[in-house]
Amino acid sequence: MGDSRYLSRFIKGVIIMSTILIESVFKRFPNGFEALKGVSADIAPGSFTVILGPSGAGKSTLLRLINGLETSTGGSVRIAGETLGKANLRKVRSRVAMVFQQFNLVERLSVATNVLTGRLAHRSWVGSVFYLFRNEDMDIVREVLARVGLTEKAWSRADKLSGGQRQRVGIARALAQRPKVILADEPVASLDPVSSEEIMGLLREICDRDGITVVVNLHQVDVAKRFADRIIGMNSGRVVFDGTPAELSPQALRTIYRREGMEHDNSLDLALAYA
Amino acid sequence: MNKPIETLFPQALPPRPHNLFPVWLAAALAALWLIVRDLEISFETLAYGVADMGEYFSRYRQPDFSDLPRYLELMGITLATALWGTVFALVVAFFLSPLAARNLSPHPLVYRAAREALNFMRAMPDLLLALIFVAALGLGPLPGALALGVHTAGFLGKFFAESLERVDQGVYEGVAATGANFPQLVMYAGWPSILREALGYVLYILDRNVRMASVLGLVGAGGIGLALHDTLRMFNYGQSAALILVILSTILIIDYASAWLRQTLN
Amino acid sequence: MTTVSIWRWPTPSGLPPLSAVASLSAVLVAMWLTAPLVEVDFVRLFGSLGKMVAFAGQLFVEPEWEYLPQLLDKMLETIEMTFLATMIALAVSLPLGLLAARNATPHVLVYRLVRDLLSLMRALPDLVWALVFVSAVGLGPLPGVMALAFVTVGFMGKFFAEIIEVVDHKPVEGVAAHGAGWLQVRLFAMLPQALPDFVGTVMYILDHNLRMATILGLVGAGGIGYDLVMSMRLFQYDRLILIALAIYLVVTLLDRLSDRLRSRIIHGTRA
Ligand SMILES: Nc1ncnc2c1ncn2[C@@H]1O[C@H](COP(=O)(O)OP(=O)(O)OP(=O)(O)O)[C@@H](O)[C@H]1O
Ligand SMILES: [Mg+2]
Repeated sequence: MGDSRYLSRFIKGVIIMSTILIESVFKRFPNGFEALKGVSADIAPGSFTVILGPSGAGKSTLLRLINGLETSTGGSVRIAGETLGKANLRKVRSRVAMVFQQFNLVERLSVATNVLTGRLAHRSWVGSVFYLFRNEDMDIVREVLARVGLTEKAWSRADKLSGGQRQRVGIARALAQRPKVILADEPVASLDPVSSEEIMGLLREICDRDGITVVVNLHQVDVAKRFADRIIGMNSGRVVFDGTPAELSPQALRTIYRREGMEHDNSLDLALAYA
Repeated sequence: MNKPIETLFPQALPPRPHNLFPVWLAAALAALWLIVRDLEISFETLAYGVADMGEYFSRYRQPDFSDLPRYLELMGITLATALWGTVFALVVAFFLSPLAARNLSPHPLVYRAAREALNFMRAMPDLLLALIFVAALGLGPLPGALALGVHTAGFLGKFFAESLERVDQGVYEGVAATGANFPQLVMYAGWPSILREALGYVLYILDRNVRMASVLGLVGAGGIGLALHDTLRMFNYGQSAALILVILSTILIIDYASAWLRQTLN
Repeated sequence: MTTVSIWRWPTPSGLPPLSAVASLSAVLVAMWLTAPLVEVDFVRLFGSLGKMVAFAGQLFVEPEWEYLPQLLDKMLETIEMTFLATMIALAVSLPLGLLAARNATPHVLVYRLVRDLLSLMRALPDLVWALVFVSAVGLGPLPGVMALAFVTVGFMGKFFAEIIEVVDHKPVEGVAAHGAGWLQVRLFAMLPQALPDFVGTVMYILDHNLRMATILGLVGAGGIGYDLVMSMRLFQYDRLILIALAIYLVVTLLDRLSDRLRSRIIHGTRA
């Protein structure tokens, strides 16, 4: 019974060529804490998926696993048919770009150089350790900076930018990788509402125009509903909801944001009333 | 007038935490007394020494600059030795320190090995290293530069590694997530983030190496130190004074120059 | 215009940044110019590699165990000199540091004067002072301690002053606002704030002084250095290996200890 389910999942994965195929992934941290308790999901190419869930649900851990920033302690992650492992780590990372809540730019480098770091995996290390790039890399930088609207800031240092601008540099760096997948871990959590709208719109547009698969962790239910094709809800290391925004009923939200040992959670009711 | 209850019955403060400072002070003073006894430092000698000090230093009153060109050449050699030693240290530290930074090192074993190598280089006094290199290479400034280089590579490497460890983990993750390999990670996330700090350390080491290079001559490793040693041994106070003045002014100039450079960097 | 190459640097022009090129070439030119002074000779360097290995081989001989008591005695002397000199310097540097801090000094002239005095004191290397003091008061640990303490005051006073200059001004105002006197403000508002950094600095200087004390013997100023040089000159490698090992152990021990202490102070955790 169980075998045939896995078999069908596998066949489905091959047939529709899920870009990301997550199979009962476990993650136990060295301190013994189990952040993921058997998470499975297959994410179709070119889709826009939002992961919702309370703090500590394991959303970041899951995204970091997909990019190989963490290693799973059970199960497997396949990306475009390749199982993520130590050997193909760099190759996978070159196709799976990551956008961070804190932007994680190299502050003292120029915007253009930060974007060029997205090309590193495509360059042999000999030239790149001397900061040498090809003209075509520079063309890519020009193109992606134009897309995120930062052409004039190309030669400013990254620490001279506002938060919204920095996040756009982060997205430009991701785009410069020419990725198949962009993972974004709470990309708008440090931004004001207008910048947030801008960034989410940018990600959506990238998904639509370039056919890049986008997976975003979010805390804003309304934003998730407006931008996502599909919403995955997580709670304490498990997937507790998986469906379209339309299917995200108040009851579903209740399941996602349920807190351990709290039958009548006032904060939850209040929060959802305004979601 | 009713006094508030608390004032009528003043509450006892919680017991005062033990202040160990007097204990430490007493222990330190006792240790000092023991040390003075053990080193057989005689205050008589000291008193005579201090009394004679005025007379003694007055012997340096008339610096004898007749040999100045040679002194300047020796000082030049000293500076050159310090420069080569510092560059050597910089090159070694550049390659070793990323391996010795816990958060960057490709493997815990590599980290340990690099750390131990740096510790070892730091623990060997440069004068001992100079003695060894002189024995192997013969007299001259080259063994001195090598000794300075090896010893201060240990320092620079440790300083760099600690700076690299202080860089926000997110910066490394941001670059690593693009698929960058180890050398790329070091060049794009590591060095740019610590550049200014690292320059400060290099200036500091250069400064230190100039001081050290001016005494390396004592073990036959070139520079101005040997000349000073010889003139002092021959009680030639005039020439000694001239040599000391040359060293003093060079180091002061470098001190001010590096302070200025540090300021412009900030 | 330069020819368009397919390689370029991430700058507007595609050329490497001027400051980087300028400083790199300045260093290279300086090295090229000074190479004859240092007698850089790579042939000689690599030619002597074999000699160096052979020499290193010679070092590993059966240690002269009978020397051990004397070694311990001399190492103890070295450590004692370090401790004594650092303590004396500490006592002198605290007031000097206050006078040399822009925000604590009674007068700008005092500030300038003390600063200049400190930079004069640290300008000459410890070994030069040791040479001078040896010829003034004779051989033994005394001139070594004097030289160490003297130069240490130069460094410690400057470090202390710099630490005091960056203390937070608000507590200082707070204490002064309650009518505290000149010295009281300095003792109760400035020093407590500066204390953790002071401890770090003292540990760092202790470390530096220990390294220095191991070589002061070279000029007859006490400590293990004299035996070190003699065993080297007389080819007593059975002694040399013991001495080198002892120095390595003691220096490494203090190094680790001071790292521990400093990180404990910085991270504010107390055992
Ligand atoms: N390196 C680590 N070591 C130990 N536990 C960790 C580690 N990283 C994360 N955790 C734990 O794993 C759980 C999941 O963390 P994760 O960051 O994935 O949550 P999240 O859903 O992203 O939360 P948030 O919305 O607050 O970002 C948390 O309880 C966290 O404390
Ligand atoms: Mg998170």
